[in-house]
Amino acid sequence: MTASIRVGTSTCGLAAGAEETVRALQAAAAQLDLPAEIKRTGCLGACHREPLVEISTNGTSVLYGPMGPAHARELLAGHFGLPGAERPSEEWVVSRAADRRDYPYFAPQVKVTTVNCGVIDPLSLDDYLAAGGYEGLRRALALAPEAVIAAVQQSKLRGRGGAGYPTGVKWEICRNQPDPLKYLVCNADEGDPGAFMDRTVIEGDPHRVLEGMVIAAWAIGARRGYVYVRAEYPLAVKHLEAAIAQAREAGYLGTDILGAGLDFDIIVKEGAGAFVCGEETALMHSIEGKRGAPRMRPPYPAESGLWGHPTNINNVETYASVPSIMTGGAAWFAGLGTAQSGGTKTFALTGAVRLTGLVEVPIGMTLREVIFGIGGGIREDGTFKAVQIGGPSGGCLPAALLETPVDYEPLRATGAIMGSGGMVVVDEETCMVDFTRYFLSFTQSESCGKCVPCRIGTRKMLGILTRLTRGEGRPDDLERLERVADTVRTTSLCGLGTTAPNPVLTTLKYFRDEYTAHIHERRCPAGACAALR
Amino acid sequence: MATLTINGRPVTAPAAASVLDAALSAGIEIPRLCHHPELSAWGGCRLCLVEVEGQRAPVPACGLAAKEGMVVTTRSERLTALRREVLDFLLSDHPLHCVICDKAGRCDLQRYAYEFGLLDSSHEKEFSRTLYQDDNAFFIRDHQYCISCTRCVRVCDEIVGATAIEVSQRGFGSYIATPFDAPLVETTCTFCGNCVQVCPTAALLPVERLGKGREWELTHTQTTCPYCGTGCTLDVATRNGEVVYVSGVPGAPANGEFLCTKGRFGLDFTTHAHRLRRPWVRRDLAYALGLVPEPPPAALGRSPLLRPPGLADTHVEVDWETALDLVAEKLAAVVQQDGPDAVGGVGSALATNEDNYVFQKMMRGSIGTNNVDLCARL
Repeated sequence: MTASIRVGTSTCGLAAGAEETVRALQAAAAQLDLPAEIKRTGCLGACHREPLVEISTNGTSVLYGPMGPAHARELLAGHFGLPGAERPSEEWVVSRAADRRDYPYFAPQVKVTTVNCGVIDPLSLDDYLAAGGYEGLRRALALAPEAVIAAVQQSKLRGRGGAGYPTGVKWEICRNQPDPLKYLVCNADEGDPGAFMDRTVIEGDPHRVLEGMVIAAWAIGARRGYVYVRAEYPLAVKHLEAAIAQAREAGYLGTDILGAGLDFDIIVKEGAGAFVCGEETALMHSIEGKRGAPRMRPPYPAESGLWGHPTNINNVETYASVPSIMTGGAAWFAGLGTAQSGGTKTFALTGAVRLTGLVEVPIGMTLREVIFGIGGGIREDGTFKAVQIGGPSGGCLPAALLETPVDYEPLRATGAIMGSGGMVVVDEETCMVDFTRYFLSFTQSESCGKCVPCRIGTRKMLGILTRLTRGEGRPDDLERLERVADTVRTTSLCGLGTTAPNPVLTTLKYFRDEYTAHIHERRCPAGACAALR
Repeated sequence: MATLTINGRPVTAPAAASVLDAALSAGIEIPRLCHHPELSAWGGCRLCLVEVEGQRAPVPACGLAAKEGMVVTTRSERLTALRREVLDFLLSDHPLHCVICDKAGRCDLQRYAYEFGLLDSSHEKEFSRTLYQDDNAFFIRDHQYCISCTRCVRVCDEIVGATAIEVSQRGFGSYIATPFDAPLVETTCTFCGNCVQVCPTAALLPVERLGKGREWELTHTQTTCPYCGTGCTLDVATRNGEVVYVSGVPGAPANGEFLCTKGRFGLDFTTHAHRLRRPWVRRDLAYALGLVPEPPPAALGRSPLLRPPGLADTHVEVDWETALDLVAEKLAAVVQQDGPDAVGGVGSALATNEDNYVFQKMMRGSIGTNNVDLCARL
């Protein structure tokens, strides 16, 4: 009997000390003479319990965490019931079920794009194949490209980068371009503060992203693909490059892929630290070696993208959804979500919730279910105040809107956006003015400066918000803030500018009394603004 | 060809024209700062936003392809309000030094501030750039007046091909820079000054123009560049007979709108004290011809002059007839004595093609030699 021990060693796990845990487990296993195979895996998503150690034997599986290196020997001896050892403390046990549904954090989640994360060794192609990898590609290549596009359309998969454009429609537009040279781009320039969906998928299951891209290449007729990944994700870059090398070796990339006559290869392009390069036209400029600034659309990339050729750009999560659509079927995928959008969405749940981490939920789940059902509510028995959804371009929603489903249109109706998947929960100790100021300081410093409203308007909003938090608010500030926000939203060139006012507009809408308290009473209701204490 | 409706008027636009092109060609004015007819559409200034039927948000006319049946509105209360807001932003980052500014009267930002009735920004003034660069003899770069329209970057890239400048840094702190902020002379810059010409504000100005008067005090004269056979059209701005600056003329037949460094910055010779305006004849020749009563001093170099010798010490100014007669006589003498091939002629690239043609015709026809060359061949 060989036991399998898996340790989550994604960036989040490593930050929690997983590498030390791995070494301690290896040493302890050798010392105790246990025939255990110790595997480094990706992230299971339960960041609040990292480092996570899962021990599987004979179909049973126990997940422990947080497991620091100090307890490695104690854990192994206890788990395997060695003579004289005590059973591992119940406090360490996260889950005893193979599907982990006995842990409330995992129970409501539906894992599609992250199903292999934390389960397989991301550097092992065999692991991916054993988990059903590249089966989606096999099925896609057996179909005509048009049939693949039809399936993606039926699946109701929409752009996971945040805008929610129907993926199948985008593919079809690109395929129908007469230009024979077409490009494929995977946008992995995940720049929202506190968001790590793309990083987790690439680090934990890089072949899934590649498989999705190869399927898309078949559907569209692309011969060359780029993964634009931020350079601040060294582990993701490493895993991606390793996976590309393996895929080339095994014939999943290169010429005549799986004998279907498809020639397609992928190049990794690292970003240079600009948030705006997540915007598709800026991203393409960056790949072309130009300054990473957006341009006017139309033409859209599907018509004229990289070097003027039709280019399909999708987010990591979008591509990662595609293999499952091919294997599970479009109807199954569509059935996971709502009438308008199929599948699941991954969120980086952070902030004042008890259980933070990466969660994948069916589209249409309410914010309340995510925050209270999965996240376990507010830490230290605090009171929920707001959830910021969609990153710095998103909006802050109050408790009254907790029944809003996570879906593109309902979220947009509130003034927030689905966005790429950032979800920051705040409690009563957070000042909404100061919170908004933080997001504006981000967008202001990340504005490329090309268009006037974003270059100067975000600066003006930041100036007003900073003044308010210093207790220097003026009676006309709110009217001015709204005016500037509206101008920036209406007149900016790209998505960065048009969405930058969202935090301002939503907090002004739902938390206006906090603003007025700062101005008229020189008081910060949350007690967070130092100048107003 | 596409027919669209702009402000209720049917307008026909050629293929690939933008809505802005179509409107301008129909005489419909749309405010714009980053647009330049010779450069690619940029879409940064957001002043040319127009309303298009069926689209919720206003769209920039410069980047919008004119399509059949499109219904466009270029003037509305909402658009005026939005344009005012955008100008309001720009003015918050632009010192209003108009009362002493050399560009006053020809500054696009000033013009729109006037049109939209903006005395100053309603926002807190905050200046993103303070750099003043005078690292070359031709033009200064006064970044405080820059509005980041990137016309200069685009003209350098798309027309000149020098790509000496690009936007550096980002957002509010972005500015136009050379690679690694090197002095312009160390870059690929050719000092053609086309960036200066397309700059809508006082961010780029010719050195010679500084403090030389304001636009309404200048006289503009169109002329042909004296430097080479291309025959570029120049617009020479003068004040009291002095050249203040030179710019190209949109749609000029030989060169379009743009100039090279000589035509733009090389016209200072026209008012130079050493410039030859009439023919001069050597004093010894002039004495032999009886044009002057005295022979020249034997050894001028060692003469007890209290000043350095000038042209008048060695030469005598004569009229054109005398000079040309003298040249013709001397040439005829050489041909008679040693044959026509003893004479050779070198034309000049400063002359026009037509002048050079006539010159070689004279050498072949009148002198009778094929010994003709041109400095540009070397």
